[in-house]
Amino acid sequence: MSVATATTARPRQAPAGGGRATGRDRGARWGALGFISPAVLLVAVLLYAPFLYTVALSFTEYDGLTSPDWVGVDNFARFFDDPALSTSVRNTLLWVVGTTVVPVGLGLLVAVLSYGIKAGTVLRLPFMLPYALSGAGLAVIWGFILQSGGAANDVLAALHLPGAKTSFLQEEPWNTLAMIVAWTWQQTGVNALLFLVGLQSIPKEPLEAARLDGAGGWSLFRHVTWPLLAPLTTVVVGLALVASLKTFDIVWVMTQGGPGRNSETLAVTMYRDAFVAGEYGYGSAVALVLTLTTGAVTLAYLRRQVRTREALG
Amino acid sequence: MIRRLVLGVLGLLWLVPVYLLLVNAFRPSTEYDASRIWVPDGDFGLVDNVRLAWDAAGLGPSILSTLLYSVVSPVAAVVVGAMAGFAIVVLRLRAGFWWFMLLFGGTIFPIQMLLIPLFLGYSSADLYDRRPGMLLVYTAVCVPLAALVMRSFFTGVAYSIYEAARVDGASVWRIFWRVYLPLSLPALGAVVILEFAFVWNDLLFGLTLSQTETVRPVMTALSALSSAYSGSTVPVVLAAGLVMSLPTVLVFLGAQRIFARGLTLGQF
Repeated sequence: MSVATATTARPRQAPAGGGRATGRDRGARWGALGFISPAVLLVAVLLYAPFLYTVALSFTEYDGLTSPDWVGVDNFARFFDDPALSTSVRNTLLWVVGTTVVPVGLGLLVAVLSYGIKAGTVLRLPFMLPYALSGAGLAVIWGFILQSGGAANDVLAALHLPGAKTSFLQEEPWNTLAMIVAWTWQQTGVNALLFLVGLQSIPKEPLEAARLDGAGGWSLFRHVTWPLLAPLTTVVVGLALVASLKTFDIVWVMTQGGPGRNSETLAVTMYRDAFVAGEYGYGSAVALVLTLTTGAVTLAYLRRQVRTREALG
Repeated sequence: MIRRLVLGVLGLLWLVPVYLLLVNAFRPSTEYDASRIWVPDGDFGLVDNVRLAWDAAGLGPSILSTLLYSVVSPVAAVVVGAMAGFAIVVLRLRAGFWWFMLLFGGTIFPIQMLLIPLFLGYSSADLYDRRPGMLLVYTAVCVPLAALVMRSFFTGVAYSIYEAARVDGASVWRIFWRVYLPLSLPALGAVVILEFAFVWNDLLFGLTLSQTETVRPVMTALSALSSAYSGSTVPVVLAAGLVMSLPTVLVFLGAQRIFARGLTLGQF
């Protein structure tokens, strides 16, 4: 599929003699502006302009009725004394740690176990099904499973495990942890799919050489497969990282960030502050912090990965 | 053998929520009992449940609207994105790379950065809670990925095709529309499939920019239906969730590979 080449391809240079443009081709160059302008217009008006306006609003107090009042960094100072916000930051961190470790790890496990065996596709199918669900669909199913006295409690009771009486959606921090379990159920399959693509692109020679040397099972994975998968692992973890920082749909539909505000993530806090409480300036500030965090974390993570790889040669 | 066993057991575990979903979505609404969720019911209640959800949340118009958004917006975005790619690669737009970076940069910031100004702007421009407004925002969000894919696709097309067509006297627009666009149908299709799923599953734009049952997209309707205040029973909510997930599940199962590659391309 041509999509695969997307990130590697670069536009070719103009062929030699391209400077001798005829009148008609100069016209085509002007036409080029016409061809790109619909895309630029859409992106500028509906993506860039709102983005910049949010940055500006984050330094104001604005209720949507009277004009915005400039308040400097007051909105950001609230990050230090608003208890709802510190809960929200803590939950977001839980999401980041939980979703970069568990679904990625399980996805790797499923990919490695099912790679190269007969019936691999069939055995992978149960993990693939949940991926196509929307965040809202996922939340509906797991809201039902996790309700007080629901299926999750039944299972724990049947296994004589603790938690049979826990109200998973009400008690903090179980509500956030329970939603991470639901997220894991959804994301494992797609991570497995990504790792599988990686496994298929690993050259066969090192694997066979190691196998001839008597390596097998765990040591083969640990010393040969895992290092060869490293670049892809970076991508998979990076994607999970960015997605987890923006967690919204599942939390909004399952708990609306509650009870109280104790299962809110930053994205939910932003939505609630702006569209429920009508504090557009404050909401903008939360959105900006979320964006800067996402950017900083992604950059730091990528740089660290690049440096580790250089150190390893 | 051990591998197959571990996978099988884990897979069965993964199917438990699916089982619970099916059993309880098919259960007649009146038969629901929180202590009997594990046992299937003899009576077939799915159709009635869907009908109840249909009436309670206005699913009919909502599904039609969402279908409109999730087909028209990606198709429009792909044409607009292909035009941009064509301008950069084939027409050799000056500083084309920077124009491209400008377009692709549109995917970097989280949607949260867009919501407040879009809501305020839509309210004053009379686009709030209207279908054209929804179409517009979904199209804009879909454009960067389309531009990325189409730019790299056109890079792989021989430039001599363009030159030959020019010598034959075809206009630039005609070359784009009659030669380049048909040539890139497979790539266009892949992007449309990815973006269809994205728009269909969207909750956040629907929540912020729409309100009435005829305009709001299905996931927003589902969210409202599942909230504690809607008064709908568990089987009704589950049946609604099941029906609204079917389009993307089917598309996904048919095009798994496209999804795997699409993931590494954009924000999906």
